[in-house]
Amino acid sequence: MHGAALSMNVRSYEVPLGADDNALVRRSVAGDTAAFEQLYRGHVGRVHGAILRLVGMDRARAEELTQDAFVRAWQKLSGFRHESAFSTWLYRLGVNTALMDLRGKHEEVAAPDDELEFAAGGEVPFCAGERGDLERAVSKLPPRARAVLVLHDVEGWKHEEIANELGMAVGSSKAQLHRARGLLRRALTDR
Amino acid sequence: MNNEFLWRNQMRKQAEAVDPARDLWPAIAARLATTTASRRRSRRSQIGWLAIAATLVVAGGAGLTAWRWQHAVRVPAPVTVTEIRPDAGQPVASTTATAPELTALDWAVPDDPALAASAQNLDNASAQLQDALEQRPDAVFLVGLLNRTNSMRLRLLRKSPNAS
Repeated sequence: MHGAALSMNVRSYEVPLGADDNALVRRSVAGDTAAFEQLYRGHVGRVHGAILRLVGMDRARAEELTQDAFVRAWQKLSGFRHESAFSTWLYRLGVNTALMDLRGKHEEVAAPDDELEFAAGGEVPFCAGERGDLERAVSKLPPRARAVLVLHDVEGWKHEEIANELGMAVGSSKAQLHRARGLLRRALTDR
Repeated sequence: MNNEFLWRNQMRKQAEAVDPARDLWPAIAARLATTTASRRRSRRSQIGWLAIAATLVVAGGAGLTAWRWQHAVRVPAPVTVTEIRPDAGQPVASTTATAPELTALDWAVPDDPALAASAQNLDNASAQLQDALEQRPDAVFLVGLLNRTNSMRLRLLRKSPNAS
């Protein structure tokens, strides 16, 4: 199932909208759902892509959360101040929706940082092989470790931002990243 | 260090947009319609409460006006006292005084239909507001309306001869 997710509908990161977004946002705030649909069409790929990676390539869950993210965006749109690009605002809202889902599950018992360091083995990253292998290995990581790895290494977030969003200390974010990389290295070596 | 660079480079390549396997818009649009309808209902409900508030203000105002009208009717006419100097036998000065101000107990009789009707209206409104507050205990504006209603009722009570 995950393999199917890996090869689907991947497209360029750039969104062909931008300046027009502001006009569409204003129309959407006034209740124009057709304008909001245009925003959805223009940005769904980026939002869904980030959510999909955060939920470990679980397509069904990612689609549910993507829907939630756009409904929340519609509800919060009047609060968008045009201080940042709409695409950035929407992307952060989508990631936050996935992280809220992660926080609500409490599947994972937080481990002390020193244990995480030990589990990670303390080694530096490596160059993985096939993209599919890497994505599968990432999807099997524990949820919080996966979230930190995806946000830091894939989405390019800083530890301070991750710690803030996940409600953890910056040191814990670094430790979780270290742990995630160690687990990945082990998974890819053992395959 | 080279490993770190290669790793980050490889991971960043995963940061691509991925369209959902199916079109999510119809489901989103359906949820938006529900959200919008619910927001409209909430707005209508607020308008309903504003209407109740307006009714209360009118009812309270009518009660007070009725009371003032009654007060004005029942205030005794000014009494003129004429002082006559014993030596001149002519009135030289006159002073005007009114009777001591009537207290509420004097004219807010309980069987007054105007006051009784206003009091009844206020009591009904107060009961409705308390019911509404039980349903929406977080509605601050309802608390304000209830306080205002009770304040009007208290003012009427103070005008009543049975006030204790």
